[in-house]
Amino acid sequence: MPKAFDAANPPFDRLTPHEVETLRATLDIIYFGPDELIVGQNTSADSLFVVIKGTIEERDGGDLLALLGPKDSFDSRALVHGRSGHAFVSREETLCYAVPKATILDLIQRNPRFASFFYRDLSLKLDNFVKDQEEQRYGSAMRARISELFMRSATFIDADDTIETAGHAMRDADSNALLVRDGERTGIVTGMNLSKAVVLRRQSIQAPVRDLAHFDLVTLKSDDLVSTALVLMAKLNKRRIAIREGERFIGILEDIDVLGFLAGSAQLLAGRIERASSRDDLQAAARETAAQVRTLRRQGIAVELIGEIISDLNQRLFSRLFDMLAPAEFRSTGCLIVMGSEGRGEQTIRTDQDNGLILRNSCDRAQLDSFRRQFSGALAEFGFPPCPGLVMVSNPAWSKPLSEYLADFRTWLALPDATSHLNLAIFFDARCVAGDPELLAEAKTNLIEVLRGEQAFLAHFARAIDLFATPIGLFKHLITSEANGDALDLKKGGIFPVVHGVRSLVLEHGLTETATDKRIARLRDLGILHDDFARELTQAFRFMLMLRLDGQLAASAGVSGTLVRPSSLSSMERDLLRDAFHIVKKFRDFIRNHFNLGAF
Amino acid sequence: MIPRAIKRLFHQASIGDQSYRFMFERGAADEVVAIDCETTGLNVRTAEIISIAAIKIRGNRILTSERFEEVVRPDAGMQADTIKVHRLRRADVAQGHPIWKLLPRFLHFVGGRPLVGYYVDFDIAMLDKFILPFLEIELPNPRIEVSQLYYERKYGDAPQNTSIDLSFVSILKDLDIPPLGQHDAFNDALMTAMMYVALRDKKVRGSRIPRLRTHTVFDPTGG
Repeated sequence: MPKAFDAANPPFDRLTPHEVETLRATLDIIYFGPDELIVGQNTSADSLFVVIKGTIEERDGGDLLALLGPKDSFDSRALVHGRSGHAFVSREETLCYAVPKATILDLIQRNPRFASFFYRDLSLKLDNFVKDQEEQRYGSAMRARISELFMRSATFIDADDTIETAGHAMRDADSNALLVRDGERTGIVTGMNLSKAVVLRRQSIQAPVRDLAHFDLVTLKSDDLVSTALVLMAKLNKRRIAIREGERFIGILEDIDVLGFLAGSAQLLAGRIERASSRDDLQAAARETAAQVRTLRRQGIAVELIGEIISDLNQRLFSRLFDMLAPAEFRSTGCLIVMGSEGRGEQTIRTDQDNGLILRNSCDRAQLDSFRRQFSGALAEFGFPPCPGLVMVSNPAWSKPLSEYLADFRTWLALPDATSHLNLAIFFDARCVAGDPELLAEAKTNLIEVLRGEQAFLAHFARAIDLFATPIGLFKHLITSEANGDALDLKKGGIFPVVHGVRSLVLEHGLTETATDKRIARLRDLGILHDDFARELTQAFRFMLMLRLDGQLAASAGVSGTLVRPSSLSSMERDLLRDAFHIVKKFRDFIRNHFNLGAF
Repeated sequence: MIPRAIKRLFHQASIGDQSYRFMFERGAADEVVAIDCETTGLNVRTAEIISIAAIKIRGNRILTSERFEEVVRPDAGMQADTIKVHRLRRADVAQGHPIWKLLPRFLHFVGGRPLVGYYVDFDIAMLDKFILPFLEIELPNPRIEVSQLYYERKYGDAPQNTSIDLSFVSILKDLDIPPLGQHDAFNDALMTAMMYVALRDKKVRGSRIPRLRTHTVFDPTGG
């Protein structure tokens, strides 16, 4: 349909206007009644279909893998690689565009970006997708408004005020620059101006600042673009710009803050945490750490790197807080651990605090109780929500001597129920963030020893991968954990099976890595996972983490944020998500085989 | 009113140009053509054709890749009548060809295939007005009326006094067909084609379009 065909819908958005015309001219529209086989399993196709309305089922034998809706296309494998992996059947009355194979092949030859959509390999597709996104994201940071940036306060002094007054005012305002009022004109004076006047020119600290101030002040409005500020600074060689809202000065923008916004200020934050001298300092740093996630994501930093940066900052924060609150005895003979997703370094947006304490010896009860309360309380104040399962230092079950943990391991093995499996899973992902790491290492070595050869237990443990079905519908008739419209639970259906399956494998083989992607790499090195499969699994996992993070950022005001709304994904993302779910499914089959779960 | 079948026989004999005899041959069994004309009015005698679109349908496939779509430039002699036409439209139609130049291609495109349309009689009457002087025949093609197919699927079994709505918009809505910009001959023909394939499939499957109750049913429980 020449006019109504939506060329903005990926991957067609990568075509030039001329190529779009070529494509439109060759389109037909096909109607399918309910239950018609459109592309058979392992057959080739002579057209690429793009759904106009209706629903298509993607099937593998008897299994329903996905539901396709408007703007989704199928099936690149049948078209380009000559064999569809799956069958495509109309679920209801459905209208599709049919793009002839010859047209697609011709466009693939002409347009490499368009071609990347048809790659067989998910990792290649994803690489291309990420590259495209990076371009968009860099742009979006430059299009941000100045009002989104951190600014120094706009504090005024009079031109007749002395250098001494100015110095005190700077300290009080915690700013390195002040605005100077001199009758009608407004200027700026910086700490460096003061120092130079006193040190180099030997002026009296009683001299008025009028002679040191610069009155060639550069101003911008708060709704101007960040890029404008950056250009002005470079062009005029200014380090500071005064920001106005109407007639009023609301702040001073420094080049370091602009660069910090563009580059993220993770390095600066690390230093701030190390130097923090009070809980208030730490709280401020914690708040900024949380804000970093958005900045880093906006820069197009890969989600696994964001995870690493954030968990590093959190680790410093925990460690610093531990130093502040823990009695000296705990610090030398105790080990503070973070567990679950924080332990794996995969928690970017704070969802809960999973932490615990391992002590070498039993210790003074009252002292321990007071520490438990203070530590968990401080973290809650810092914006780490308490763990609903009470896996926290404040819970005596998770802050106790090593010997009691070792006893727990034996209980878990002897009484394998859902709770012991959950506890094992959480603990096995633990990472030491402060104190003596040897304690955690000992505990884990013991845990691995206890479980060595316990195949039946491990199989039971691994079975949890089938707890939640992989969500198959991608727009309307899909499976949701909560009745939340067309939302899709990425965590339960996609991320959890990978995390848990991988965890089961490394537990069986006694490996001590905690991050899922590093675990996959180790399993590959040991030959347990095939090279190609390990790469695909890692890519699929990262892609799902990225979608989850984007969902969380979009919903950052509230709710759990693991629910992704397929209708808000581009059809390209939906296509990649389908591929990722296929890989999750393959991985589940692998785990089932490996642990012989069919026997249950 | 002369029955159409007799007219058809008459025209088969009277055809002015023997090379158009193919118009009386049915062609492939599963092929039809959806047509639509945009006109300057609804009175066949005074209205002018502004554009013509025709799309072949083969089985369940709407062949938009082989379409007939032309803007018509009114004949010089009829210019006076079309003064009423919107100025913009006039600028548009000036790009087109006079209808007598387009008709041969249109007739070859549709051949003897059944013509599908929404109130197709009007479109055919408009076309016949120009075809009759040209070939001394009227379009002999079988006609398929989508509003009739829709009526059968929705109101065929309706009790008397059911209020009947055969509007284009209602058909689109009931069949869940994406609305394209209306009053563009090609889009209208395409939507008509979509209606046709959907309605034909419903007929084959014996599936009906549900009617909403227009009056509430008395519920003795009060609930």
